[in-house]
Amino acid sequence: MVLTLLKESVVFAWQALVSNKLRTFLSLLGITIGIFAIITVFTIVDSLERNIRSSVQSLGDNVVFVMKWPWTFGPDYPWWKYMNRPVPTYKEVDEVRRKTKSAEVIGFRISARKILKHKNNTIENAIVSGWSYDYGKIKSFDIIDGRYFREDEVEGGYNVVILGSTIAEGLFPNNEYPIGKTIKVAGRNCRVIGVIKKEGESMLGNSMDNQVVVPYNFARLFMDVKSESSEPFIAVKAKTGVTNEQLKDELTGVMRSIRGLKPLADDDFALNETNLLSKNFDGLFDIVGIAGAIIGGFSILVGGFGIANIMFVSVRERTNLIGIQKSLGAKNYFILSQFLFESVFLSLMGGIIGLLLIYILTFAADGMIDMEITLTRSNIILGLTISVLIGVISGFIPAYGASQLDPVEAIRTN
Amino acid sequence: MAQVTRPKIIGITSIIAIVLILLAFPMLFTPSIKRMGDFVPMILGIIITLQFVSVIGIWHMKQWGVQLFIIMFCIRVITFMLLDMYTFRFYFNIFYSIIFIIFFLIHYRKMDSNL
Repeated sequence: MVLTLLKESVVFAWQALVSNKLRTFLSLLGITIGIFAIITVFTIVDSLERNIRSSVQSLGDNVVFVMKWPWTFGPDYPWWKYMNRPVPTYKEVDEVRRKTKSAEVIGFRISARKILKHKNNTIENAIVSGWSYDYGKIKSFDIIDGRYFREDEVEGGYNVVILGSTIAEGLFPNNEYPIGKTIKVAGRNCRVIGVIKKEGESMLGNSMDNQVVVPYNFARLFMDVKSESSEPFIAVKAKTGVTNEQLKDELTGVMRSIRGLKPLADDDFALNETNLLSKNFDGLFDIVGIAGAIIGGFSILVGGFGIANIMFVSVRERTNLIGIQKSLGAKNYFILSQFLFESVFLSLMGGIIGLLLIYILTFAADGMIDMEITLTRSNIILGLTISVLIGVISGFIPAYGASQLDPVEAIRTN
Repeated sequence: MAQVTRPKIIGITSIIAIVLILLAFPMLFTPSIKRMGDFVPMILGIIITLQFVSVIGIWHMKQWGVQLFIIMFCIRVITFMLLDMYTFRFYFNIFYSIIFIIFFLIHYRKMDSNL
Protein backbone atom coordinates (compact mmCIF):
# COMPACT_ATOMS: atom_id res chain seq x y z
CA MET A 1 0.00 0.00 0.00
CA VAL A 2 2.65 2.47 1.10
CA LEU A 3 4.97 1.30 -1.68
CA THR A 4 2.23 1.73 -4.29
CA LEU A 5 1.57 5.25 -3.05
CA LEU A 6 5.27 5.97 -3.03
CA LYS A 7 5.64 4.67 -6.57
CA GLU A 8 2.66 6.72 -7.73
CA SER A 9 3.98 9.91 -6.21
CA VAL A 10 7.39 9.28 -7.77
CA VAL A 11 5.74 8.79 -11.19
CA PHE A 12 3.69 11.97 -10.76
CA ALA A 13 6.79 13.92 -9.75
CA TRP A 14 8.78 12.55 -12.69
CA GLN A 15 6.04 13.40 -15.19
CA ALA A 16 5.84 16.95 -13.86
CA LEU A 17 9.59 17.39 -14.28
CA VAL A 18 9.71 15.88 -17.77
CA SER A 19 6.81 17.97 -19.03
CA ASN A 20 8.65 21.20 -18.17
CA LYS A 21 12.17 20.42 -19.35
CA LEU A 22 13.51 23.97 -19.66
CA ARG A 23 12.08 25.03 -16.29
CA THR A 24 13.48 21.87 -14.69
CA PHE A 25 16.89 22.56 -16.17
CA LEU A 26 16.96 26.20 -15.11
CA SER A 27 15.85 25.46 -11.57
CA LEU A 28 18.35 22.66 -11.03
CA LEU A 29 21.14 24.88 -12.35
CA GLY A 30 21.28 26.74 -9.01
CA ILE A 31 21.95 23.52 -7.11
CA THR A 32 24.40 22.34 -9.79
CA ILE A 33 26.46 25.51 -9.39
CA GLY A 34 26.24 25.36 -5.58
CA ILE A 35 27.33 21.70 -5.37
CA PHE A 36 29.98 22.30 -8.03
CA ALA A 37 31.41 25.26 -6.08
CA ILE A 38 31.53 23.63 -2.68
CA ILE A 39 32.66 20.14 -3.71
CA THR A 40 35.30 21.60 -6.06
CA VAL A 41 36.76 23.58 -3.16
CA PHE A 42 36.75 20.46 -0.95
CA THR A 43 38.22 18.27 -3.69
CA ILE A 44 41.08 20.70 -4.30
CA VAL A 45 41.71 21.25 -0.57
CA ASP A 46 41.64 17.48 0.10
CA SER A 47 44.02 16.82 -2.79
CA LEU A 48 46.45 19.54 -1.69
CA GLU A 49 46.28 18.22 1.86
CA ARG A 50 46.98 14.66 0.69
CA ASN A 51 49.88 15.85 -1.44
CA ILE A 52 51.43 17.81 1.43
CA ARG A 53 50.97 14.93 3.86
CA SER A 54 52.70 12.51 1.50
CA SER A 55 55.50 15.06 0.92
CA VAL A 56 55.90 15.48 4.67
CA GLN A 57 55.81 11.71 5.19
CA SER A 58 58.53 11.24 2.58
CA LEU A 59 60.82 13.24 4.88
CA GLY A 60 60.52 10.32 7.27
CA ASP A 61 58.17 9.20 10.05
CA ASN A 62 59.21 9.48 13.66
CA VAL A 63 62.17 11.67 12.68
CA VAL A 64 63.53 14.76 14.42
CA PHE A 65 65.52 17.25 12.36
CA VAL A 66 68.30 19.26 14.00
CA MET A 67 68.37 22.55 12.12
CA LYS A 68 69.16 26.22 12.46
CA TRP A 69 65.63 27.52 11.87
CA PRO A 70 62.46 26.16 13.54
CA TRP A 71 59.50 25.10 11.40
CA THR A 72 57.03 27.53 12.90
CA PHE A 73 55.37 30.30 10.98
CA GLY A 74 53.27 33.30 11.79
CA PRO A 75 53.58 37.01 12.51
CA ASP A 76 55.42 36.53 15.82
CA TYR A 77 58.34 34.62 14.33
CA PRO A 78 61.47 35.99 16.15
CA TRP A 79 63.87 35.53 13.21
CA TRP A 80 66.44 37.85 14.75
CA LYS A 81 67.00 35.29 17.54
CA TYR A 82 67.75 32.53 15.06
CA MET A 83 69.82 34.27 12.39
CA ASN A 84 73.09 34.16 14.37
CA ARG A 85 72.82 30.49 15.23
CA PRO A 86 75.48 28.11 13.81
CA VAL A 87 74.43 25.53 11.23
CA PRO A 88 74.62 21.82 12.10
CA THR A 89 77.84 20.14 10.96
CA TYR A 90 78.90 16.65 9.97
CA LYS A 91 81.24 16.50 13.01
CA GLU A 92 78.21 16.89 15.27
CA VAL A 93 76.63 13.81 13.66
CA ASP A 94 79.37 11.58 15.11
CA GLU A 95 78.96 13.11 18.54
CA VAL A 96 75.17 12.84 18.43
CA ARG A 97 75.55 9.20 17.38
CA ARG A 98 77.90 8.55 20.28
CA LYS A 99 75.81 10.29 22.95
CA THR A 100 72.21 9.52 21.94
CA LYS A 101 70.69 6.29 23.26
CA SER A 102 67.19 6.55 21.78
CA ALA A 103 68.24 7.10 18.15
CA GLU A 104 68.07 4.27 15.66
CA VAL A 105 69.57 6.04 12.64
CA ILE A 106 71.26 9.43 12.30
CA GLY A 107 71.72 11.03 8.89
CA PHE A 108 73.11 14.24 7.49
CA ARG A 109 72.22 16.16 4.38
CA ILE A 110 73.39 19.28 2.54
CA SER A 111 72.16 20.64 -0.76
CA ALA A 112 72.81 23.38 -3.30
CA ARG A 113 71.83 24.32 -6.81
CA LYS A 114 74.45 23.36 -9.39
CA ILE A 115 74.86 22.78 -13.12
CA LEU A 116 74.59 19.24 -14.50
CA LYS A 117 75.95 18.25 -17.90
CA HIS A 118 75.95 15.20 -20.10
CA LYS A 119 77.22 15.62 -23.66
CA ASN A 120 75.13 18.49 -25.11
CA ASN A 121 72.43 18.29 -22.46
CA THR A 122 72.72 20.80 -19.66
CA ILE A 123 70.49 21.35 -16.64
CA GLU A 124 71.03 24.55 -14.71
CA ASN A 125 69.99 25.12 -11.11
CA ALA A 126 69.45 21.42 -10.42
CA ILE A 127 69.28 20.52 -6.72
CA VAL A 128 72.36 18.52 -5.77
CA SER A 129 72.06 16.79 -2.37
CA GLY A 130 74.95 15.38 -0.43
CA TRP A 131 73.81 12.54 1.81
CA SER A 132 75.50 10.64 4.56
CA TYR A 133 75.06 6.87 4.11
CA ASP A 134 72.42 6.62 6.86
CA TYR A 135 70.28 9.44 5.51
CA GLY A 136 69.16 6.98 2.82
CA LYS A 137 67.63 4.87 5.60
CA ILE A 138 65.57 7.81 6.85
CA LYS A 139 64.34 9.42 3.64
CA SER A 140 61.77 7.35 1.77
CA PHE A 141 62.40 6.89 -1.96
CA ASP A 142 62.46 4.05 -4.49
CA ILE A 143 65.24 3.29 -6.95
CA ILE A 144 63.94 1.91 -10.26
CA ASP A 145 67.28 1.49 -12.01
CA GLY A 146 70.67 0.72 -10.49
CA ARG A 147 71.35 0.89 -6.76
CA TYR A 148 71.90 3.08 -3.67
CA PHE A 149 75.45 4.06 -2.51
CA ARG A 150 77.68 1.59 -0.73
CA GLU A 151 78.95 2.72 2.66
CA ASP A 152 82.57 2.90 1.42
CA GLU A 153 81.48 5.11 -1.52
CA VAL A 154 80.00 7.66 0.91
CA GLU A 155 82.86 7.52 3.40
CA GLY A 156 85.50 7.64 0.64
CA GLY A 157 83.74 10.49 -1.18
CA TYR A 158 83.49 8.55 -4.47
CA ASN A 159 82.24 10.51 -7.45
CA VAL A 160 79.01 8.54 -7.93
CA VAL A 161 75.53 9.98 -8.42
CA ILE A 162 71.90 8.92 -8.21
CA LEU A 163 69.53 10.83 -10.51
CA GLY A 164 65.95 11.97 -9.98
CA SER A 165 63.64 10.87 -12.79
CA THR A 166 63.12 14.33 -14.36
CA ILE A 167 66.87 14.95 -14.29
CA ALA A 168 67.51 11.54 -15.85
CA GLU A 169 65.01 12.33 -18.63
CA GLY A 170 66.66 15.71 -19.19
CA LEU A 171 70.25 14.46 -19.33
CA PHE A 172 69.49 11.21 -21.13
CA PRO A 173 66.74 11.90 -23.65
CA ASN A 174 65.48 9.31 -26.17
CA ASN A 175 65.35 6.56 -23.52
CA GLU A 176 69.14 6.40 -23.26
CA TYR A 177 70.17 4.09 -20.39
CA PRO A 178 71.97 6.27 -17.79
CA ILE A 179 73.50 3.65 -15.47
CA GLY A 180 77.30 3.53 -15.80
CA LYS A 181 77.44 6.76 -17.82
CA THR A 182 79.46 9.74 -16.66
CA ILE A 183 77.90 13.17 -16.14
CA LYS A 184 79.35 16.43 -14.87
CA VAL A 185 78.07 17.66 -11.49
CA ALA A 186 79.28 21.20 -10.78
CA GLY A 187 82.08 20.59 -13.28
CA ARG A 188 83.23 17.27 -11.76
CA ASN A 189 82.86 13.91 -13.43
CA CYS A 190 80.41 11.59 -11.75
CA ARG A 191 79.35 8.03 -12.59
CA VAL A 192 75.59 7.40 -12.56
CA ILE A 193 74.76 4.40 -10.34
CA GLY A 194 71.00 4.75 -9.89
CA VAL A 195 67.76 6.44 -10.95
CA ILE A 196 64.99 7.27 -8.48
CA LYS A 197 61.37 6.38 -9.28
CA LYS A 198 59.18 9.30 -10.42
CA GLU A 199 57.39 10.88 -7.46
CA GLY A 200 55.41 13.70 -9.09
CA GLU A 201 55.07 17.31 -8.03
CA SER A 202 55.44 18.03 -4.33
CA MET A 203 53.77 20.98 -2.60
CA LEU A 204 56.82 21.37 -0.37
CA GLY A 205 59.15 21.44 -3.35
CA ASN A 206 61.05 18.41 -2.04
CA SER A 207 60.24 16.01 -4.86
CA MET A 208 63.19 13.77 -5.68
CA ASP A 209 62.37 14.07 -9.39
CA ASN A 210 64.37 17.31 -9.71
CA GLN A 211 67.30 16.30 -7.53
CA VAL A 212 70.52 14.37 -7.84
CA VAL A 213 72.12 12.70 -4.84
CA VAL A 214 75.87 12.37 -4.28
CA PRO A 215 77.84 11.09 -1.25
CA TYR A 216 78.33 13.76 1.43
CA ASN A 217 82.11 13.50 1.33
CA PHE A 218 82.03 14.15 -2.41
CA ALA A 219 79.50 17.01 -2.11
CA ARG A 220 81.64 18.90 0.39
CA LEU A 221 84.32 19.28 -2.29
CA PHE A 222 82.15 21.76 -4.17
CA MET A 223 79.69 22.96 -1.49
CA ASP A 224 80.33 25.28 1.43
CA VAL A 225 79.26 23.00 4.29
CA LYS A 226 79.49 25.76 6.88
CA SER A 227 77.25 28.06 4.90
CA GLU A 228 73.54 28.35 5.51
CA SER A 229 73.04 28.30 1.74
CA SER A 230 73.84 24.57 1.69
CA GLU A 231 70.89 23.99 4.11
CA PRO A 232 72.64 21.40 6.31
CA PHE A 233 70.63 19.38 8.79
CA ILE A 234 70.93 16.30 10.96
CA ALA A 235 68.03 13.83 10.77
CA VAL A 236 67.53 11.52 13.75
CA LYS A 237 65.15 8.59 13.61
CA ALA A 238 63.89 7.27 16.94
CA LYS A 239 64.20 3.65 17.99
CA THR A 240 61.01 1.57 18.00
CA GLY A 241 59.01 2.36 21.15
CA VAL A 242 60.67 5.75 21.64
CA THR A 243 58.37 8.73 21.12
CA ASN A 244 59.47 11.87 19.35
CA GLU A 245 59.06 13.77 22.61
CA GLN A 246 61.50 11.44 24.41
CA LEU A 247 63.92 11.69 21.50
CA LYS A 248 63.67 15.50 21.47
CA ASP A 249 64.32 15.67 25.21
CA GLU A 250 67.44 13.57 24.83
CA LEU A 251 68.60 15.45 21.73
CA THR A 252 68.17 18.78 23.47
CA GLY A 253 70.59 17.68 26.21
CA VAL A 254 73.02 16.14 23.74
CA MET A 255 73.08 19.15 21.41
CA ARG A 256 73.44 21.57 24.32
CA SER A 257 76.45 19.62 25.58
CA ILE A 258 78.00 19.42 22.09
CA ARG A 259 77.58 23.16 21.60
CA GLY A 260 78.79 23.85 25.15
CA LEU A 261 75.78 25.96 26.12
CA LYS A 262 75.54 27.33 29.66
CA PRO A 263 72.54 26.22 31.76
CA LEU A 264 70.66 29.50 31.37
CA ALA A 265 71.52 30.04 27.71
CA ASP A 266 68.87 29.56 25.04
CA ASP A 267 69.17 26.65 22.61
CA ASP A 268 71.08 27.66 19.48
CA PHE A 269 69.47 24.94 17.36
CA ALA A 270 65.93 23.92 16.43
CA LEU A 271 64.47 20.43 16.75
CA ASN A 272 61.83 20.11 14.02
CA GLU A 273 59.32 17.34 13.43
CA THR A 274 57.30 16.54 10.33
CA ASN A 275 54.06 16.92 12.30
CA LEU A 276 55.01 20.57 12.93
CA LEU A 277 54.80 21.13 9.19
CA SER A 278 51.48 19.27 9.02
CA LYS A 279 50.07 21.36 11.87
CA ASN A 280 51.02 24.60 10.13
CA PHE A 281 49.29 23.46 6.97
CA ASP A 282 46.24 22.15 8.90
CA GLY A 283 45.51 25.70 10.06
CA LEU A 284 45.79 27.02 6.51
CA PHE A 285 43.55 24.32 5.07
CA ASP A 286 40.98 24.85 7.82
CA ILE A 287 40.71 28.52 6.86
CA VAL A 288 40.33 27.68 3.16
CA GLY A 289 37.81 24.95 4.05
CA ILE A 290 35.73 27.26 6.25
CA ALA A 291 35.74 29.99 3.58
CA GLY A 292 34.67 27.39 1.01
CA ALA A 293 31.98 26.08 3.37
CA ILE A 294 30.48 29.52 3.94
CA ILE A 295 30.55 30.57 0.28
CA GLY A 296 29.38 27.16 -1.00
CA GLY A 297 26.81 26.71 1.80
CA PHE A 298 25.11 29.98 1.06
CA SER A 299 25.26 29.45 -2.71
CA ILE A 300 23.49 26.11 -2.20
CA LEU A 301 20.88 27.83 -0.01
CA VAL A 302 20.31 30.36 -2.82
CA GLY A 303 19.92 27.43 -5.22
CA GLY A 304 17.38 26.01 -2.76
CA PHE A 305 15.39 29.26 -2.87
CA GLY A 306 15.25 28.86 -6.66
CA ILE A 307 13.81 25.37 -6.27
CA ALA A 308 11.33 26.55 -3.62
CA ASN A 309 10.19 29.30 -5.99
CA ILE A 310 9.67 26.87 -8.85
CA MET A 311 7.79 24.49 -6.53
CA PHE A 312 5.41 27.28 -5.50
CA VAL A 313 4.74 27.92 -9.20
CA SER A 314 4.25 24.21 -9.76
CA VAL A 315 1.72 23.96 -6.90
CA ARG A 316 -0.11 27.04 -8.19
CA GLU A 317 -0.29 25.59 -11.72
CA ARG A 318 -1.61 22.25 -10.50
CA THR A 319 -3.99 23.45 -7.79
CA ASN A 320 -6.92 22.28 -9.90
CA LEU A 321 -5.39 18.83 -10.30
CA ILE A 322 -4.69 18.63 -6.57
CA GLY A 323 -8.37 19.37 -5.91
CA ILE A 324 -9.43 16.58 -8.25
CA GLN A 325 -6.95 14.14 -6.70
CA LYS A 326 -8.15 14.98 -3.20
CA SER A 327 -11.81 14.72 -4.13
CA LEU A 328 -11.07 11.27 -5.59
CA GLY A 329 -9.65 10.20 -2.21
CA ALA A 330 -5.95 11.15 -2.34
CA LYS A 331 -4.60 11.60 1.19
CA ASN A 332 -2.70 14.68 2.35
CA TYR A 333 0.56 12.74 2.64
CA PHE A 334 0.19 11.54 -0.97
CA ILE A 335 0.00 15.13 -2.25
CA LEU A 336 2.83 16.09 0.12
CA SER A 337 5.10 13.29 -1.03
CA GLN A 338 4.31 13.98 -4.68
CA PHE A 339 5.62 17.54 -4.49
CA LEU A 340 8.39 16.66 -2.08
CA PHE A 341 9.71 13.97 -4.45
CA GLU A 342 9.58 16.48 -7.29
CA SER A 343 11.77 18.95 -5.43
CA VAL A 344 14.14 16.24 -4.15
CA PHE A 345 14.51 14.85 -7.71
CA LEU A 346 15.19 18.30 -9.01
CA SER A 347 17.79 19.00 -6.38
CA LEU A 348 19.38 15.55 -6.63
CA MET A 349 19.71 15.85 -10.40
CA GLY A 350 21.37 19.23 -9.91
CA GLY A 351 23.76 17.70 -7.39
CA ILE A 352 24.59 14.73 -9.63
CA ILE A 353 25.30 17.03 -12.60
CA GLY A 354 27.52 19.17 -10.34
CA LEU A 355 29.44 16.08 -9.18
CA LEU A 356 29.79 14.83 -12.78
CA LEU A 357 31.24 18.19 -13.81
CA ILE A 358 33.80 17.93 -11.00
CA TYR A 359 34.62 14.36 -12.02
CA ILE A 360 35.28 15.52 -15.60
CA LEU A 361 37.31 18.43 -14.26
CA THR A 362 39.54 16.11 -12.23
CA PHE A 363 40.33 14.17 -15.41
CA ALA A 364 41.14 17.39 -17.26
CA ALA A 365 43.29 18.60 -14.36
CA ASP A 366 45.14 15.28 -14.33
CA GLY A 367 46.62 16.00 -17.74
CA MET A 368 47.41 19.64 -16.99
CA ILE A 369 49.03 19.57 -13.55
CA ASP A 370 51.45 17.09 -12.08
CA MET A 371 49.34 16.44 -8.99
CA GLU A 372 46.66 13.84 -8.36
CA ILE A 373 43.25 15.47 -7.87
CA THR A 374 40.56 12.98 -6.93
CA LEU A 375 36.89 13.26 -6.11
CA THR A 376 36.78 11.26 -2.89
CA ARG A 377 33.97 9.07 -1.57
CA SER A 378 33.36 11.41 1.37
CA ASN A 379 32.89 14.37 -1.00
CA ILE A 380 30.49 12.38 -3.20
CA ILE A 381 28.45 11.39 -0.11
CA LEU A 382 28.49 15.01 1.08
CA GLY A 383 27.37 16.33 -2.33
CA LEU A 384 24.50 13.84 -2.66
CA THR A 385 23.39 14.32 0.96
CA ILE A 386 23.31 18.08 0.64
CA SER A 387 21.36 17.86 -2.63
CA VAL A 388 18.67 15.66 -1.07
CA LEU A 389 18.42 17.75 2.09
CA ILE A 390 18.18 21.02 0.14
CA GLY A 391 15.44 19.38 -1.95
CA VAL A 392 13.50 18.56 1.24
CA ILE A 393 14.05 22.01 2.79
CA SER A 394 13.11 23.95 -0.32
CA GLY A 395 10.22 21.69 -1.29
CA PHE A 396 8.57 21.13 2.07
CA ILE A 397 6.76 24.49 2.43
CA PRO A 398 5.08 24.42 -1.01
CA ALA A 399 4.41 20.66 -0.71
CA TYR A 400 2.85 21.01 2.72
CA GLY A 401 0.78 23.98 1.51
CA ALA A 402 -0.48 21.86 -1.39
CA SER A 403 -1.37 18.97 0.90
CA GLN A 404 -3.45 21.26 3.11
CA LEU A 405 -5.57 22.66 0.25
CA ASP A 406 -9.32 22.36 0.51
CA PRO A 407 -10.44 20.12 -2.40
CA VAL A 408 -13.53 22.20 -3.29
CA GLU A 409 -11.62 25.49 -3.35
CA ALA A 410 -8.74 23.87 -5.20
CA ILE A 411 -11.01 22.55 -7.98
CA ARG A 412 -12.56 26.01 -8.38
CA THR A 413 -9.19 27.67 -8.87
CA ASN A 414 -8.51 28.77 -12.42
CA MET B 1 -11.54 21.82 9.79
CA ALA B 2 -11.36 25.45 10.89
CA GLN B 3 -7.92 27.07 10.62
CA VAL B 4 -6.32 27.71 14.04
CA THR B 5 -5.16 31.32 14.42
CA ARG B 6 -1.40 31.57 14.94
CA PRO B 7 -0.41 33.61 18.02
CA LYS B 8 2.15 36.34 17.30
CA ILE B 9 4.75 34.82 19.60
CA ILE B 10 4.60 31.50 17.69
CA GLY B 11 5.01 33.38 14.41
CA ILE B 12 8.03 35.31 15.68
CA THR B 13 9.74 32.30 17.29
CA SER B 14 9.12 30.21 14.18
CA ILE B 15 10.76 32.82 11.96
CA ILE B 16 13.74 33.11 14.32
CA ALA B 17 14.01 29.32 14.49
CA ILE B 18 13.97 29.01 10.68
CA VAL B 19 16.67 31.66 10.31
CA LEU B 20 18.86 29.95 12.95
CA ILE B 21 18.33 26.54 11.32
CA LEU B 22 19.22 27.87 7.86
CA LEU B 23 22.29 29.60 9.25
CA ALA B 24 23.35 26.28 10.81
CA PHE B 25 23.27 24.67 7.36
CA PRO B 26 26.74 25.82 6.18
CA MET B 27 28.11 24.30 9.42
CA LEU B 28 27.76 20.90 7.72
CA PHE B 29 30.60 21.75 5.38
CA THR B 30 33.14 22.89 7.93
CA PRO B 31 36.41 20.89 7.96
CA SER B 32 36.01 19.98 11.64
CA ILE B 33 32.65 18.27 10.93
CA LYS B 34 33.99 16.58 7.79
CA ARG B 35 36.95 15.21 9.72
CA MET B 36 34.62 13.40 12.16
CA GLY B 37 33.64 10.92 9.48
CA ASP B 38 32.03 10.45 6.07
CA PHE B 39 28.51 10.16 7.46
CA VAL B 40 28.61 12.82 10.20
CA PRO B 41 27.58 15.71 7.86
CA MET B 42 24.74 13.51 6.63
CA ILE B 43 23.46 12.79 10.17
CA LEU B 44 23.69 16.44 11.22
CA GLY B 45 22.06 17.46 7.92
CA ILE B 46 19.09 15.14 8.53
CA ILE B 47 18.69 16.58 12.04
CA ILE B 48 18.75 20.16 10.71
CA THR B 49 16.28 19.29 7.93
CA LEU B 50 13.83 17.61 10.32
CA GLN B 51 14.08 20.58 12.68
CA PHE B 52 13.18 22.80 9.74
CA VAL B 53 10.18 20.54 8.93
CA SER B 54 9.07 20.69 12.57
CA VAL B 55 9.13 24.50 12.55
CA ILE B 56 7.00 24.54 9.39
CA GLY B 57 4.52 22.32 11.28
CA ILE B 58 4.55 24.76 14.20
CA TRP B 59 4.02 27.67 11.79
CA HIS B 60 0.89 25.85 10.57
CA MET B 61 -0.14 25.36 14.24
CA LYS B 62 0.20 21.57 14.17
CA GLN B 63 0.89 19.58 17.30
CA TRP B 64 3.14 17.19 15.39
CA GLY B 65 5.41 20.16 14.75
CA VAL B 66 6.00 20.70 18.47
CA GLN B 67 6.44 16.97 19.06
CA LEU B 68 8.94 16.67 16.22
CA PHE B 69 10.77 19.80 17.40
CA ILE B 70 11.22 18.36 20.91
CA ILE B 71 12.31 14.96 19.56
CA MET B 72 14.83 16.57 17.19
CA PHE B 73 16.11 18.82 19.98
CA CYS B 74 16.82 15.74 22.14
CA ILE B 75 18.42 13.86 19.23
CA ARG B 76 20.56 16.89 18.38
CA VAL B 77 21.77 17.26 21.96
CA ILE B 78 22.56 13.54 22.23
CA THR B 79 24.34 13.54 18.84
CA PHE B 80 26.44 16.56 19.76
CA MET B 81 27.35 14.93 23.07
CA LEU B 82 28.25 11.65 21.35
CA LEU B 83 30.42 13.56 18.87
CA ASP B 84 32.03 15.44 21.74
CA MET B 85 31.01 18.78 20.24
CA TYR B 86 30.78 20.89 23.37
CA THR B 87 31.11 24.14 21.49
CA PHE B 88 29.52 27.54 21.96
CA ARG B 89 27.00 26.55 19.26
CA PHE B 90 25.97 23.51 21.34
CA TYR B 91 25.16 25.56 24.44
CA PHE B 92 23.55 28.35 22.41
CA ASN B 93 21.38 25.77 20.65
CA ILE B 94 20.21 24.33 23.98
CA PHE B 95 19.50 27.83 25.29
CA TYR B 96 17.29 29.05 22.46
CA SER B 97 15.64 25.67 21.85
CA ILE B 98 14.45 25.46 25.47
CA ILE B 99 13.00 28.98 25.25
CA PHE B 100 11.22 28.07 22.00
CA ILE B 101 9.91 24.82 23.45
CA ILE B 102 8.43 26.71 26.42
CA PHE B 103 6.61 29.09 24.03
CA PHE B 104 5.42 26.21 21.88
CA LEU B 105 4.17 24.19 24.86
CA ILE B 106 2.22 27.17 26.21
CA HIS B 107 0.20 27.19 22.96
CA TYR B 108 0.27 23.43 22.42
CA ARG B 109 -3.40 22.86 23.33
CA LYS B 110 -4.57 25.46 20.83
CA MET B 111 -2.82 23.59 18.04
CA ASP B 112 -4.38 21.17 15.57
CA SER B 113 -3.78 17.50 16.36
CA ASN B 114 -4.28 16.41 12.72
CA LEU B 115 -1.49 16.04 10.20
